[in-house]
Amino acid sequence: MASTSQSKASTSRPELREQYQIIGSFQPAIHIPQNWNYETSHPLFRAYMHPPHDVGGQRDVAGKYEEKEEEGWELNTYVTCETLGWRGIWNSEERRRRADNDLGYTLYLGLPYYGRWLWAATRMLIDKKRFSLPELLAKIDEVKARYERQ
Amino acid sequence: MKDSDSNASETHARFKVGDRVRVKNMPLMFYTRTQNYARDIEGTIVELTYKDLVPEDEAFNFDGVLDQYYIIRFRQKDIWEEYPFENDTLQTESPDRWLEPVSH
Repeated sequence: MASTSQSKASTSRPELREQYQIIGSFQPAIHIPQNWNYETSHPLFRAYMHPPHDVGGQRDVAGKYEEKEEEGWELNTYVTCETLGWRGIWNSEERRRRADNDLGYTLYLGLPYYGRWLWAATRMLIDKKRFSLPELLAKIDEVKARYERQ
Repeated sequence: MKDSDSNASETHARFKVGDRVRVKNMPLMFYTRTQNYARDIEGTIVELTYKDLVPEDEAFNFDGVLDQYYIIRFRQKDIWEEYPFENDTLQTESPDRWLEPVSH
């Protein structure tokens, strides 16, 4: 590509296609069409309404058991969430409701355990107007740029 | 007018018709109306439309700041390199905050 700006755009295209491919793969291999269905059967409705964190009784394959220690960001997330509780900004049940229910199945299954907490705490602070989404996006962008310069 | 609008201040329109701009690639999180495919792509301002809250504020009922909205025109080939027709364009709308000036 001739100019810098064009080459910047062209490198982002494969990344964008990769993203669209991953988003497309969230649709399960064996599925019933589910995009604004005209009708939803009662069993399907009940399954949609099922809270993602109520995992008891579901089938699964054997998983590898690991005694994994918390990483720094995980401990920081835990402490931040507890502090928000002590300051009365939320309580543990609200944290569970947001982190285990409101984020939905795809994120519930896809994020690390403390990733759910972090998602929920961030969303809660915006919902309660402690900061705005544009402020958060600008801050993330600023910190990201600082790391990339290093 | 909603009561909340009375508290909102306005930002200056940084761009005029004909200016080249690039759509910022801000983090994807919670809500936006800035299309993924338009990010990091350069286009031309073709119209100044109105001033309004940005969707990321309005969606959470924040008063926020009123931003100038623009219609931006992109070349389809700049968005999708395999696109077969040279002259086809795509227009979308964006607030000032999502744009950065392009200098050549």
